[in-house]
Amino acid sequence: MDYNKPLPNVDGDTREFWTGCKAHELRFQKCKDCGHIRWPASMICPVCYSRDTQWIIASGKGKVYTFVVYHVAYHPGFEDDLPYVVADVELEEGPRLLTNIVGCRPDEVKCDMPVEVTWERITEEFSLPKFRPIS
Amino acid sequence: MLESGLCKYVVLSYGHNAFSSDSMRRMLMERNPDAAVFGHFGAAAGFALAARRAMHTFRTGPETWKHIAVGQRKWANLNPVAEMYERTMSFDDYYNANWVIEPFRLLDNCLMTDGGRAVVITSAERARDLRHPPVLIMGMGQSNPSCDVHQATHLAGPTGAKKAGEMAFDMAGITRDDIDACEIYDCFTYVVEITLQDYGFFGPGEGEDWFKDGTIEPGGRMPVNTSGGQLSEAYYMGLTPLSEAAMQLMGRCGDRQLGTATSTRSPEIILCNDNGGILQTHTCIIVRRS
Repeated sequence: MDYNKPLPNVDGDTREFWTGCKAHELRFQKCKDCGHIRWPASMICPVCYSRDTQWIIASGKGKVYTFVVYHVAYHPGFEDDLPYVVADVELEEGPRLLTNIVGCRPDEVKCDMPVEVTWERITEEFSLPKFRPIS
Repeated sequence: MLESGLCKYVVLSYGHNAFSSDSMRRMLMERNPDAAVFGHFGAAAGFALAARRAMHTFRTGPETWKHIAVGQRKWANLNPVAEMYERTMSFDDYYNANWVIEPFRLLDNCLMTDGGRAVVITSAERARDLRHPPVLIMGMGQSNPSCDVHQATHLAGPTGAKKAGEMAFDMAGITRDDIDACEIYDCFTYVVEITLQDYGFFGPGEGEDWFKDGTIEPGGRMPVNTSGGQLSEAYYMGLTPLSEAAMQLMGRCGDRQLGTATSTRSPEIILCNDNGGILQTHTCIIVRRS
């Protein structure tokens, strides 16, 4: 079946992140000067403005910083998913990633709940990092 | 521009066919393609993320927000140009409204409007000769936390309102006790709460007690969004609050006029504000009767 939801928008900043996702690795930029690990991807460190950057692989563990439950689909591809959870997950390494919480009912999601990454392969090119409760 | 003599009059205007066209929807939907991958669209969802974190951080939620939705609707019911003029709202109506993006129900959301609003700004000296009594700008403040919203640490406050409010009060040389009414940017109910909280009208988690018993309604001790606001009058971005503050101080508000008509204090000083993005930019303006 064809995938009927929006696909990632890959650009010069985010290519390494999405390439990592294809390999089921969460890759983020770490500033070589101040050590800040950041997301969204960017040329310059938002803390110290250094351009010296390396990519690291995150553990995939974190906690729910905040979340919402969609009861309306704003794109036809999400109609069958209602109600679904969009969350801002704070990873152990620091960055916060907008994602979905899966593997539990929406009313079981809580702020600060521990979660871990689970991969959803959506096309040949792309896998999405989603998160599930750590049992 | 006015003080330097570059111009004599400035028209600040907003107009949009947001209701009958799809331009607002397209603007909100296309803003962040990488969020759309996860089914995350538009402004309501961003503010709902902020509101949920606030619910985790201090005592707030629908029990607080219902007072804002219902209170502002009572003002709209006195305003013949309000979109919701003829539609009352009870607490039951609020709780019975469908979830849109939880924790927001439909009635936590502002309106989509076809229309416009404008104010004219000039020097106090020139304003004396104009048809209506002028309204004077006492103080202004601006603060823009401006992070990417998903990285933001200010979602549950303090938002830009704290610093912008302090700047405006300082410039005006007054305190909160001098404020007779507030016209607050209210794209969603929670935004009214966090804005008034950051201005210091009540502490974190004290909003429900502060709003209950009709504080912001006609007859209340601190009227808020006296046109019905963007929740119940019309959505003109920052021009909804600013134009209403000016109209109230000029005494041009008919059945909803602050003072004896609505059993409220006759207004001398009104605080108004605007914010942009998802609580990413904030402007506070304090105005007074001339």
